[in-house]
Amino acid sequence: MATADPIGVLTGAHFIDGDHACSEGAIAAGCRFVAGYPITPSTEVVERIAERFPFVGGVFIQMEDEIASSIAIQGAAWAGKKTMTVTSGPGFSLMMEHIGLAAMTETPLVLVDVQRAGPSTGLPTMPAQGDMMQARWGSHGDYGIIALCPNSPQECFDLTIKAFNLAEQYRVPVLFMMDECVGHMIERVVIPSADKIEVTPRRMHTGSKEEYLAFAPKADLVPDMVKAGDGYHMHVTGLTHDEKGYPNMTVGTQARLVRRLVDKIKLNAEKIVDYREDGVEGADIVVVTYGITSRTALPAIEQARSEGLKVGHLRLVVAWPFPEKRIRELSSKVKAFVVPELNFGQMTLEVERCAAGRANTVCVPHAGGTVHNPKDIYEAIRDSVKGAK
Amino acid sequence: MSEPTPTKKARGSVVIMAERCKGCGFCVEFCPTDALDLSSQYNAKGYHPPVLARKDNCTGCDICGMVCPDFAIYGFIKKPTKGH
Repeated sequence: MATADPIGVLTGAHFIDGDHACSEGAIAAGCRFVAGYPITPSTEVVERIAERFPFVGGVFIQMEDEIASSIAIQGAAWAGKKTMTVTSGPGFSLMMEHIGLAAMTETPLVLVDVQRAGPSTGLPTMPAQGDMMQARWGSHGDYGIIALCPNSPQECFDLTIKAFNLAEQYRVPVLFMMDECVGHMIERVVIPSADKIEVTPRRMHTGSKEEYLAFAPKADLVPDMVKAGDGYHMHVTGLTHDEKGYPNMTVGTQARLVRRLVDKIKLNAEKIVDYREDGVEGADIVVVTYGITSRTALPAIEQARSEGLKVGHLRLVVAWPFPEKRIRELSSKVKAFVVPELNFGQMTLEVERCAAGRANTVCVPHAGGTVHNPKDIYEAIRDSVKGAK
Repeated sequence: MSEPTPTKKARGSVVIMAERCKGCGFCVEFCPTDALDLSSQYNAKGYHPPVLARKDNCTGCDICGMVCPDFAIYGFIKKPTKGH
């Protein structure tokens, strides 16, 4: 495993917000091209990128819109750079088509969505978590995707590096699903020295130019890449393509390609999934959270525990792929899942699907604009076992 | 500018619109059967457009058309003619 280039690593303790920590994470991970159309509440990410990039040899372009941003970074990725774009809800909607293109062409990139309340323009300066299902299913067609959910500025730094590493490892667009609260939350962020930061280098093809097949998968179902301009014959298209990369619009090619795009995440899911558990073993009720709700749920969990309820806490760090196996295991042990979300029930659907009726699943919905009152989560925890088997 | 003229014979052929060409050479580089060369002729802009130098090699696969940034060339598969 390679380590980070020291030129981009601001080793030390900082007092910065989640957006700035995300920028530092990207720079430490080796990101050297960012195209973006600044939008609240993600603007601070690109502000810091624009300020810092000249000192690390990176290029930032403020594009004409989010559509151009999400396509410019794909060009840069094929030119050999690690790339990222940053947006919020309305821009995320505009980028959907290109998430599909990146999935189809297996272009490694990171797309940061600092979620705000929607639909449409909604509440630009206020939090929500309404883009979680859009992250999974937003582009048309079938593909595998990875999405991460930080809950603190420190995690914004750590997980941005992880996002870049996963993007390079599996050659997929990795969606970094922050929310306004985490983005604008100022906390202590400790940046380790460069030799302590593991960075996954691009999987480069090194064989002969004649035998190069741009989309021939390796054992983990992921093909190796080359850089445009290195002299390899390559063709990158959103059309259904064969291993050479040329359009081949037949039922057989479609089946092979799309199955692989889905399987490379599905079959590697156990290596990708990441969650944090607290007191889940022996619990009757498990609160499943991600992002900012993992912090608003803490007082509620403490109160419920002080009243004798056996409550566990499972926090999703990687939301997609969803930890299906773990939730299935738990569903036969616990009586209920409680899922507080700043939306009207998105990841709740996944928990409910994996619980498959073995445990009661209760959503604590919120329209966004602020965070839950812990009292609402506490009441949901208290009431969740009443209707359970 | 002259009309596009398909060259004859072989299984496939190409149509070259010389005036659109900026001489990048992608078609020559990517041709899997090495059928194309850059012409010694100039177009009006002063670039060397491609020419189907080895027309028996052309299969009409249209990879030249796929990689051409300027839509200046495309390949096609010829229909078999009777008596040949």
